[in-house]
Amino acid sequence: MTDEELAKDLGPLAALTIGIGTMIGAGIFVLPGAAVLQAGPLAAAAFVLGGVIALLTAASASELGTAMPKSGGAYYYINHALGPLFGSVAGWGNWMGLAFASAFYMTGFGQYVVTFLAVPSLVIGGITISGVKLVALAGGSLFVFVNYVGAKETGRLQNAIVIILLGILAVFTVFGLLNADLAKLRPFVPPDKGVSPLLPVTGLIFVSYLGFVQITSVAEEIKNPGKNLPRAVLGSVIIVTAVYALVLVTVLAAVDNSVVAGNDTAVVDVARILIGPVGAAAMLFGGLLATASSANASILASSRINFAMGRDRIVSKELNEIHPRFGTPYRSIAITGGFILAFILLADVGTLANAGSVLHLIIYGLLNVSLVVMRIADPDDYQPDYRVPLYPFTPILGAITSFALIAFFADTIVLLAVGFVVFAMLWYAVYARGQATKQGILGKYVLQRSEEMPAAAVSATTSVQPDGGYRVMVPLANPASERDLVTLGGSVAKANNGTLVGVHIVQVPDQTALESARTEYDFAEADELLEQARLDADELDVDIETHTVLSHRSFEEVFDAAETYGADLVVMGWGPDSHGAPGRAESAIEEMTSTLPYDVLVLKDRGFDPSEVLVPTAGGPDSDLSASIALVLKEFYDANVTLLHVADDKRQGEAFLSEWAEERGLGDATLAVETGDVETAIESHARDKSLLVIGATERGLLSRLVRGTLVLDVVDDVDCSVLLAERTRKRSLRERLFG
Amino acid sequence: MTTRPEPLFSRPLVPLANEEDAEVTCGVAFPRIAATDGRAYVVHVIEKAGGAPDKAGVEQREELAEDVFDIARRAADAADIELETDLRFDTDVGDAILDAASEVDASAIVFTPRGGRSWWDIFSGDVRDRLIRKSDRPVVVLPGDDVELESGSETEPDGETDGEK
Repeated sequence: MTDEELAKDLGPLAALTIGIGTMIGAGIFVLPGAAVLQAGPLAAAAFVLGGVIALLTAASASELGTAMPKSGGAYYYINHALGPLFGSVAGWGNWMGLAFASAFYMTGFGQYVVTFLAVPSLVIGGITISGVKLVALAGGSLFVFVNYVGAKETGRLQNAIVIILLGILAVFTVFGLLNADLAKLRPFVPPDKGVSPLLPVTGLIFVSYLGFVQITSVAEEIKNPGKNLPRAVLGSVIIVTAVYALVLVTVLAAVDNSVVAGNDTAVVDVARILIGPVGAAAMLFGGLLATASSANASILASSRINFAMGRDRIVSKELNEIHPRFGTPYRSIAITGGFILAFILLADVGTLANAGSVLHLIIYGLLNVSLVVMRIADPDDYQPDYRVPLYPFTPILGAITSFALIAFFADTIVLLAVGFVVFAMLWYAVYARGQATKQGILGKYVLQRSEEMPAAAVSATTSVQPDGGYRVMVPLANPASERDLVTLGGSVAKANNGTLVGVHIVQVPDQTALESARTEYDFAEADELLEQARLDADELDVDIETHTVLSHRSFEEVFDAAETYGADLVVMGWGPDSHGAPGRAESAIEEMTSTLPYDVLVLKDRGFDPSEVLVPTAGGPDSDLSASIALVLKEFYDANVTLLHVADDKRQGEAFLSEWAEERGLGDATLAVETGDVETAIESHARDKSLLVIGATERGLLSRLVRGTLVLDVVDDVDCSVLLAERTRKRSLRERLFG
Repeated sequence: MTTRPEPLFSRPLVPLANEEDAEVTCGVAFPRIAATDGRAYVVHVIEKAGGAPDKAGVEQREELAEDVFDIARRAADAADIELETDLRFDTDVGDAILDAASEVDASAIVFTPRGGRSWWDIFSGDVRDRLIRKSDRPVVVLPGDDVELESGSETEPDGETDGEK
């Protein structure tokens, strides 16, 4: 077997049982009582409706899963499609949703245990903890512990548990059908309330449909996911819906509704009536198995989601450290366990179920939206083996029903959901945005077409883009130098796994208002320039976003744009027609350029050819930037790098230069040490070079450049292209490359 | 079995369980391999549940494997020896190590003990005992704590920087 086959060892049955085992949990064992109390026999319809809503989303989850069989499942797809802002909502939602659901399963477990084992309440400091909660806490701790030490046998038990469980429910159903009296199902719709309880009850029992998404969180381990993943996801929802409907109809048709309504362990009592004590014991056993397997699978799935969130830097990577002995993501499991135990203590069983459902419904809605986004943006690597039938109706209906069902929960639960989304978005804005590097397909799609998109959409997208990534802005003006600048900027971006930002600044005469310019101007030239930049970036295989900026200023606008688009490095051309004439307010430029929060490279372009690169250095931060650029050119273009140092004493100079080169990873560069006049030395060495990379020796390179008072005559005296490097006083390229 | 006597450290297989283990084991084993002018094979095994969900995701543990191999690569550079890495997936870590050893016809299997026997070995299975009992080639257990004496000055700082990453 190949490694690939060994790594993907979950067969179709195992995948299916993850879904069924997670879904058939406390829902069908605990909730029929409450559901029947509210809706009578209509409760059965609520279970079917819940199944239909789940099935719509299951179709979307299947398509996304076959296109991206990655660890983390639903969180991964949403983050990938909609970007890290919604990724944060999905990740936190899925994580906490599973913690609430696990707390619910364990509380259900507790309710089952106390029916045959009298567990006394505990009073600590005037607070009473019921026997049910004590059992729930003990059970929760047990499953957290099992996952913490990672007994691999528990995973194998899952198949057996699910099959036993389905067997028990099947026998129960058969006994029920033998005793069924269809008259007991009438009136199906409660005469006093009509169908109005249907949706609220669907919300109540929806916690019974949370499991199928957990299949996608282990998608990377499923054999032949193109075939088995949709089968498992859709199959588990269909099987579970059928089981619920049959069990409920059986329960309602076989005994009087009054036995069921409001009874927390209704199925056990029904089994006792139908089959006798053995039946009751079997159902009790089934309830324990079901709640245990649901909680176990949920804890496992949440650690996968944590991993995927950590990989995208939505949460700290520290969370995902693997235990040296147990080989488990122990921190993630311990923290999830802490949440579960806290939720058991703080909330009642209904709140736990509702909170778990609502958070999952948010994810289900976003999953459907993600599918639509992926289909519209249609990136090259999106090749699902399974496609949602009746697109776009299925995902749109899935999104609407998932979001709409949230409205039928109690006000406090809706408030909790809204508060939670706000929290997750704030979390992104305050913590994760500065860390996250991954941009969503939606963001890329909007920003690549920022000229065609409504301005509000572009600015909203820009303002939520992750800025943990390295961003290289290239102001584009002159078609002749576009390619050279994009190539240079793109190489640096690529070396840093970063993004290229192409900006075209259109200078508008002072007399014309910017707003009217937007409608009147002909942007054909700008579009062509940016299109060319996109093509060149594609060739380099580097991500690019493009913007057109209208301004009354031109040169100064470059600095505003660099701030706006969060640049870490600006690569600009310098020549007669690069960026128009500098504005009049020279002092403003000086002020602006004295403390730039980003690195700047200025290319005096005489034909970009990085084959022979000369880097003169006297040490200092700006030549550090030169060195890291030389390193990038070496890596991508096999540039021959020559380092030049002019010293008073040749031997000391050689010692300095070789150490300097070594420290900056340029140990294999040609070293040249000269004495005498600096400019003469540079000029003579530059004669057979194609590119001179020179650090600005003093602050304020840019302002002097603009005023034409650059002291370094050398720039004009050499024949090759010259790249001037000025480093920010804040974070630098070099720190990123070597740090 | 080899019929001609071959130096134990000429081309041993070094199983590495985690980053700390890699740090310690490479630190004590690689200088010895360098002394016999040998080459090192390192193997890391991702334990699979064999048809059930694993205790940690595969992608997650592939990242860990890469970190482990990075430590080995740095240690090999420092000791100036050739290194080959092998990532395996298996339901039984001990079997996977034995397979890897016979595949490259390793001169020995070299490891350092990971702490004492503990009660939780009943959960994780005892790989060490399996190697010692079932291997058809020499098994060398190196004391891990002489790392400071042997090459502490080289491995210790490495360990520090890696921990910060």
